[in-house]
Amino acid sequence: MANRAKADVLQGTLDLMILQTVATMGPLHGYAVAERLEQVSGGSLQLNMGTLYPGLVRLEQRGFIRAEWDRTENNRRARYYSITAAGRRQLSAEKAEWTRMASIMHAVLQKEEAK
Amino acid sequence: MRARLREWWLRFLGTFTRPDGMEDELRFHLEMAEQEALRRGAPPGELARQARLRAGGVTQAAEAVREQRSIGWLGDFLRDSRHGARLLAKSPLFTTAAILSLALGIGANTAIFSLIDAVMLRMMPVHEPERLVQFVKYRETDRRGSFSYPLYRRFRSELHSFDGLLARFPVGRREASFGVEPEIVNAELVSGNYYSVLGVSAIAGRTFDEDADRNPSPVAVISYAFWKRRFGMDPGVVGRAFRLNRTVFTIVGVTPPEFFGVAVGESPDVAFPLTMDGEVRGSQSMLHCVGCGWLQVIGRLRAGQSLTGAQAEVSTLFSGIVQAQAQREENGLYRQEALSQRMRLEPAGNGLDTLRVRFSEPLRILMGIVALVLLIACANLANLLLGRAAARRREIGVRMAIGAGRGRVIRQLLAEGLLLAVAGGVMSLLLACWSANALVTVMSNGGARIALNIRPDLRVLSFAAAISIGACLLFSLAPAIQASRVGIQPVLAEARGARWRLGRGLIAAQVAISLVLLIGAGLFGRTLLRLYSLETGFDRSNVLLFSVNSDHASLRGSELRARILQDLRSIPGIASASYGMSPIGPSGWDGSITVEGYTFGPNEDDRVLLNAVEPDYFKTLRTPVVLGREFGPRDTGSGPKVAVVNEAFARRYFRDRSPLGKWVNMTGETDRREIVGVVKDVRLPSIRQQVQPAMYIALAQRGDPGWGGYIVRGTVNRAMVDGALKRIDPKLRSDDVSTLEEHLSRGILKERVMGTLSGLFGALSLLLVSVGIYGVMAFQVARRQKEIGIRMALGARPHQVIGMVLVETAAPVAIGVITGVAGALALTRVAEKMLFGVKPTDPLTFAAAGTLLVTLALTAAYLPSRAAGRLSPVETLRCE
Repeated sequence: MANRAKADVLQGTLDLMILQTVATMGPLHGYAVAERLEQVSGGSLQLNMGTLYPGLVRLEQRGFIRAEWDRTENNRRARYYSITAAGRRQLSAEKAEWTRMASIMHAVLQKEEAK
Repeated sequence: MRARLREWWLRFLGTFTRPDGMEDELRFHLEMAEQEALRRGAPPGELARQARLRAGGVTQAAEAVREQRSIGWLGDFLRDSRHGARLLAKSPLFTTAAILSLALGIGANTAIFSLIDAVMLRMMPVHEPERLVQFVKYRETDRRGSFSYPLYRRFRSELHSFDGLLARFPVGRREASFGVEPEIVNAELVSGNYYSVLGVSAIAGRTFDEDADRNPSPVAVISYAFWKRRFGMDPGVVGRAFRLNRTVFTIVGVTPPEFFGVAVGESPDVAFPLTMDGEVRGSQSMLHCVGCGWLQVIGRLRAGQSLTGAQAEVSTLFSGIVQAQAQREENGLYRQEALSQRMRLEPAGNGLDTLRVRFSEPLRILMGIVALVLLIACANLANLLLGRAAARRREIGVRMAIGAGRGRVIRQLLAEGLLLAVAGGVMSLLLACWSANALVTVMSNGGARIALNIRPDLRVLSFAAAISIGACLLFSLAPAIQASRVGIQPVLAEARGARWRLGRGLIAAQVAISLVLLIGAGLFGRTLLRLYSLETGFDRSNVLLFSVNSDHASLRGSELRARILQDLRSIPGIASASYGMSPIGPSGWDGSITVEGYTFGPNEDDRVLLNAVEPDYFKTLRTPVVLGREFGPRDTGSGPKVAVVNEAFARRYFRDRSPLGKWVNMTGETDRREIVGVVKDVRLPSIRQQVQPAMYIALAQRGDPGWGGYIVRGTVNRAMVDGALKRIDPKLRSDDVSTLEEHLSRGILKERVMGTLSGLFGALSLLLVSVGIYGVMAFQVARRQKEIGIRMALGARPHQVIGMVLVETAAPVAIGVITGVAGALALTRVAEKMLFGVKPTDPLTFAAAGTLLVTLALTAAYLPSRAAGRLSPVETLRCE
């Protein structure tokens, strides 16, 4: 049960990160999402396909992103993900929740340390 | 929340489809990772490895995506089902046999249940049916649900627990003329508040209102079914006039399609106001008759009113009425009887109980019987599946060796069982619809078809689904668990032993259940035989019964009757013809008497059954006249008053003296009647009837009752009767035509239904058990070929081998027989009331059923054992 809960938290975080990336960078294919996250995190976040693609599928199933086949600059076929209206609503709600949670954590940890 | 639902819905759909382009996408990802590695200056030989290191493997990722795209267990189940379906398709014989026996078992259960649903469970489509209660009067064990109009009025005005009380009377078939030709309609009389109490409103025109109770007016409301059948749903039907008897009625409204009236199975076409009862029935009105019990009464409890409270109020009112009645009785016995009357309120949300009372007991017993048949079918399938599982030992072993868990293997075998159950269940629905229909025809018994709505509703469908799944668990769980042991138990012999133990247990169970069914069938069968071989006091062959509808004819009453009898007697082929108030009676009419030379005790029952008949009545029935004579043409209204009594009467009031020449006097009559004859006791109107003292009087010597029927002996049919009637008056027509045999068999409908159906199911169970034993023993012999071969090589004789197999069968059969007898002793008592002339523990039936079953079981085992005896030791050993 404990493992399961932890996985859920991680999954939620991952979904939020993917959503944020797709929202700011416009239509992206899966590799670009992974690359961008790696770049933004300064190399500390390396997503492998087994984590990334189930996340993309899940977000698509929930109606937060939509996927379309398109051509890359090098004329290769790839699937591009873009955010939907529902996805934007979800993103702003999740972001607010995340910030609230983080500030609570921050406050609690600070206080306990100060003692 | 919506997002989650969307996800699950898509995962559900995804279970059935393949992802499109997922592999391409993943490969593209890897290529991009390789290019990245190249940019970073990795050596060409290292590209693929580095990319894999960063992005992971395609296979694993594809698996993870698939997991997200679908629902895991559902996918497993689909794969199992597909696998199961392939396996089942490989053995069509087994599959067909399994599905057929399941369809029979489940279908029989569903059919009986749909009847139980229609007759006993289904609520009426009216406003808040659970607030409806029916008035029922109990006098000792006698249960009566009909009351006089004055009593109904009293209830209506003096009871406060109800929002309203309705009354109705099923008139039955009447002739109505909408055009030129009269047509038969099913009529009922209803109180003005009938529709408002039920909360049913017209879909065209209007219904009756309370005003109809005060001001009789010739109006009628027709049912939707009749509107459709007779008028093709013509919207102009409201306002149409038609003639019934001598009155012209106007149709004022149509009731909604789902409303069939308050009596399950009756479905009247036309409803008339109760206050028009004289006009509708074509005789004197019964509205003022205090002694006539004819109206069925249903009340709607006030909202929030408890049944107990209403019951208390009704009991108080009724006990006042009963006490007043008792004070008028002089005979202590009758006073006692009057005081013992109780009025009870019974739930009527599912309609009046006429059908329920008649059929609930047979239906319950049948439900039990078909449940047992299904159990046998399940045991059979379980045994067959055991055999199959043994044959698949290798496959299962391999699956478990490559890591399938036991639960997974069991689930796979269950999926196969579920396939069988679903196929059987679907087939069973067709079978159930058809056979429920056939049963309704049988229950209608040659009369007007009982209008039962047996279209399967949600309850019936859920029932069928539930027993299909229940059956699936029953027959496939044990074999599946058994089979899943194979792989993990290296000592195969042990598992084999356990399987054989389970198989023997199943044989014993089948034998036990089948024996219960056979004994039940035997008891019902003997009941039927008893009824047919009973001394009835008359000759039932070649007798035709009918009544004559003379509503529109010019001749009436005794004049018409004399004319008809005279004409009938002149037809060649008709040996004799007569008429009786109850043509096959005495029934329904009794009266108090005084008898010459007999003193009644103060509390003695002085009532006898009565019947008024025309001359030649006993000659037509071929009832022997023991002493004196029967009625003849001399016994006219002006002649000396005479009576004929039955032997029971003579025994009771005259012991061994002759009653001839003695007088009897009926209470309310001034003249005494002289007894001129004694006839044999007749068991009429039903042969299940107990014989009681009865007295017959000449119809000519009594005021015309206005009802009765003709009885004719000879080679005669309806056409001949109609011809004779037409010659007298074209407007006369025959009604209720049936032969005496038909009438009698109608009277023992329940016994016939139980006798035939229990026999049918008993035979079915025998078949299933024989096939089951044969299958199991054949499988045993095949499995033990090697052992048998060795035994024979060591000198065992064929008959010893046969004996060995038979002994192995005999043990479970013996256990089954003992259990079965014990079970039957406990269960047959339930049916005691439905038996006639045979005890529920009848030893002959028990012995016969046991012998039959054991013989068949051993025969079924003998066939494979003979094959074992014929085995050639050399060949069997070479096989290995």
